[in-house]
Amino acid sequence: MTLTQHVRNGWYLGAWSDEIGRTLKQRWITDIPVCFYRLPDQTVTAVEDRCPHRKYPLSLGHLDDDGTLQCDYHGYRFDGQGVCVGVAEQADRPKAALRRFPLVERDGAIWIWPGDPELADESLLPDTSWLTDPNWTHVHGVVPLKARHMLLLENLLDLTHETFLHPTSIGNAAVAATPIDVTVDGDRVGFSRRMIGIEAPPFYEKSCGLTSPVDRWQDGDFYPPGIFVLNIRVAATGTEEPDGFHMKVLYGMTPGRGNETHDFYALGRDYLIDDQELTKFQHEQQLAVMQEDVDALEAQEIMYATDPGGTAESSIKSDLAALRGRRAVAKMLAREQRAQQDARIPHSRASV
Amino acid sequence: MTSPSATAPDTRPLGSAAAGTPSGTRRGTEFEGTVTVLARQAVADDVVSLELAASSGEPLPVWQPGAHIDVVLPTGATRQYSLCGPVGDTAHWRVAVLREPDGRGGSQWIHDHVEEGGELRVRGPRNNFPLRPATRYLFVGGGIGITPLLPMIAEADAAMAEWSLLYGGRTRSSMAFLPELEGHGERVAVRPQDEHGLLDLAGFLGDPDPSTLVYCCGPAGLIDAVEAHCADWPTGALNIERFAAAAVRQPADDTAEQPIEVELRASGTTVTVPPGLSVLKAVEQAGVPVLSSCEEGICGSCETSVLEGEVDHRDSLLTEDERAANDTMLICVSRARGGRLVLDL
Repeated sequence: MTLTQHVRNGWYLGAWSDEIGRTLKQRWITDIPVCFYRLPDQTVTAVEDRCPHRKYPLSLGHLDDDGTLQCDYHGYRFDGQGVCVGVAEQADRPKAALRRFPLVERDGAIWIWPGDPELADESLLPDTSWLTDPNWTHVHGVVPLKARHMLLLENLLDLTHETFLHPTSIGNAAVAATPIDVTVDGDRVGFSRRMIGIEAPPFYEKSCGLTSPVDRWQDGDFYPPGIFVLNIRVAATGTEEPDGFHMKVLYGMTPGRGNETHDFYALGRDYLIDDQELTKFQHEQQLAVMQEDVDALEAQEIMYATDPGGTAESSIKSDLAALRGRRAVAKMLAREQRAQQDARIPHSRASV
Repeated sequence: MTSPSATAPDTRPLGSAAAGTPSGTRRGTEFEGTVTVLARQAVADDVVSLELAASSGEPLPVWQPGAHIDVVLPTGATRQYSLCGPVGDTAHWRVAVLREPDGRGGSQWIHDHVEEGGELRVRGPRNNFPLRPATRYLFVGGGIGITPLLPMIAEADAAMAEWSLLYGGRTRSSMAFLPELEGHGERVAVRPQDEHGLLDLAGFLGDPDPSTLVYCCGPAGLIDAVEAHCADWPTGALNIERFAAAAVRQPADDTAEQPIEVELRASGTTVTVPPGLSVLKAVEQAGVPVLSSCEEGICGSCETSVLEGEVDHRDSLLTEDERAANDTMLICVSRARGGRLVLDL
């Protein structure tokens, strides 16, 4: 079985802010073990989870009150900059430092750049201000997925699957029957689907209290390699913008270890933001829909992993956004591999 | 009132989906297998209706008005036919096939070879033409385009919606299913062209009305006329199904198509590609292996590096930047502007 190679020069959602505190948390990202923790001033830090001494996971070590990280195998100690500050075995400090990853913590999300730190560019991140906007409310979390990141990406870029895989919640015939417009802006791939005068799928009927017919818009933006934002508008047919119900879904598609992926999600809305019952209902539905996707993608992963190859996939017009997303990732990977041939990425100290 | 629904009524009580539990058995939405022709009946000039049942005796999947099935011909090609029997009948499917001498041979084969007791390979059903809820419907059918409208009419009628049908054709004898429609009385206007001339679309459709949906199926000329008439109607009011999917990007004028010379540099050969033949097919005929799949300019399997010449891009996949770079092309649909290309094949 071949393992997917992952783009590393890009932002991935590494963790939600509320996941990381004054304890050590390990999370594999693009086949790199990462140890997340916070320093005493609450600054979030991420280092490669391998002690430079004998590669023992630092996340099995402990964090002192002053922010010093100690490996609990032979006692290597590292300061907040990842520099080794001493060992118990000798007076001299070993010349050792941890690989630290560029991070951006914003709106309750921690973004990580696992590749060349020199290339980390904050302007590539999507707008996430709605996660902290007082006029919006949201739920978020992360779901484990035993399938390669590309399968999740294609699932999100081709929402026609809602018709067949999610018929009791967010899908109905209108989704598959309505073509998409696809736009490309550099590496970014966008699509929009305008369903006009359709029957409201059950989730939206209940979520918005709407009766059919409704207009349902889906505008998706893929920020390669691993971020997807879906803008949803649902309104009674004939309603003018900005009237209508707006929702946003942020997906962080973060490759983990091997062909496993962290499926980060945040689901937000701009109406009835104090309605706890509605929040609970939407969160349950979101998780139920994601479980249907996880089951499907894990079944699909087995088929891809065991496929002897030699047979071209069939594709149709509704695959266009997913095919372009696939190409965008392939191009990034090719660029990265060319750059790696020109110069090996130094695995030394990185300044954020 | 019960709205006609374009989705299967497979809804559990909302909110009962427990997080983390896989959903139960999924609806089997697609059938692929062999069906037996229980009955073949001439229902109009050059139109036969076929009544089909699963050869295995199993029930067929449920479907909704507007759905079609693929009939897989012995050549492997598929043809789509709308289901036009009763929606609730999972024991039988009915399709109606017009013999089209100018077609690609699918309907001819069915007319010439399919007999009662015979078998067909089918896939489906699928629905690209779902009936959406409304309080009033206007149906416009032309010729064999009546087929998807029959179950829609039944559904609208059952839902107590207001509806009427304008049914056109060449001659009365060419129009299928007239006896079935007779029972609806004034709601159905049968207007064969040899008796009434062109259809009075303006009189039938009237002015835009927010509570009305228009459903139209028929030959291209009729659909174009209905589209023109409904141009000012609210978005989504008009729903059409054409018999054949429009091509991804067609050259504006096929007659202006010129033969092109394509040099396959790595193979050391040059092929001439006449109008009507794709570069892909010409390359294959020259014995040069090349990957391909969709042959519609979507999937990218046949993407080929261009060494010289200006590409006339006709695919759907490449971005504007990729087109402008002029260094790659999808040879299943794209051609050359200057009459010559050099490919890395």
